[in-house]
Amino acid sequence: MEKAYIELKIPSTVFYIEPVRAFIGNLTQSLGFSRKRVADIQLVLDEICSNAINHGSANATVGIKLQICIDSEALEILVRDTGRGDTREHNWLALERLSEIEAKRAPSNERGHGIFIVRSLADAHEMASNEAGGTDVRVIFHREN
Amino acid sequence: MTYFNLGKVIFMDSAKLMSIREDSGVKIIEIKTDLSSYAASDLRKVLEGLLAEKIDKVVVNLSQVSHINSTAVGALVGVAKRLRQNGGDLKICALADNLTRTFNLIGASSVVEIYESEKSALAAF
Repeated sequence: MEKAYIELKIPSTVFYIEPVRAFIGNLTQSLGFSRKRVADIQLVLDEICSNAINHGSANATVGIKLQICIDSEALEILVRDTGRGDTREHNWLALERLSEIEAKRAPSNERGHGIFIVRSLADAHEMASNEAGGTDVRVIFHREN
Repeated sequence: MTYFNLGKVIFMDSAKLMSIREDSGVKIIEIKTDLSSYAASDLRKVLEGLLAEKIDKVVVNLSQVSHINSTAVGALVGVAKRLRQNGGDLKICALADNLTRTFNLIGASSVVEIYESEKSALAAF
C-alpha cells in the first residue's frame, strides 16, 4: 500500500473537534482498526486538538492543522498549532510547563490529563516546537491487520 | 445559560442536548451527546448551575454517550468533590466500555462512584 496523505485545517474553536473526531472514527474503522482502538484514536485526537486550540492558538481564526499519513503499517497523525503568541505561554510545550503539569497530575484533578492520555494510548508519540512558534504533536497507531 | 428544568430537553447555544429530571430528591442528568470539549464546556456550566441552586444529590446518566474526553471527566470529578464538601454527591451510571476505560485510565473511577444502572446509582444515596 502506497502512503496516503490527508490534510485538514480547522478553526481554533472546540466546536470543530467533534466533526474531526467523527471523521477520524470513520477513517480508522475503514482501515480495519478494532472498535476499541478506534475509540482510543478518537480520544487521543480529541485531547491533542483540545490542547492545540485551548493552549496553542492566539485566537479562533488562526486555526490548527492536521496531517494524516496512512500506509500498510501505521496511521500517523500530526497536529500543528501556531502558539499563543504571548511571552509566558508562547508554546504550551515549554518544558517547565509540561513537566509541571505531569508532576501534578492526580486522579482527583479536574485538568491536566490530556498528555497523559496521549502517552498512554498512542503506540508512539512525539512533541516538538515548530517554526511558527507553536507545537507539533505527532502520534502513531500501528495497523492491526 | 438558559435551560429548562425537570423532564424537558435542554437546548443550549448549540445542538448539544441533555435532559434533567428528578427522582426522590435526586437530580438526574441524562446526557444525550458525546462529550468532547465543546459539549464538556456546556456540561460544566449546567453542573455549576445546579451547584448554585444548592442541589446536593446528582446522578449523571451516560447511557447515550459513546465518547468522553478528559475535560468532561474533570468537570464531573470537580463537581462531585464540591458536592461532597456540602454533604452531597454526584454519581455516574451506565458507562459504555470505552468510557469506563477512560475513567480508569485517568484514575477518576477511584474518585467518583460509578454504577451500572441509574436505578443502582439512585439506590446508593
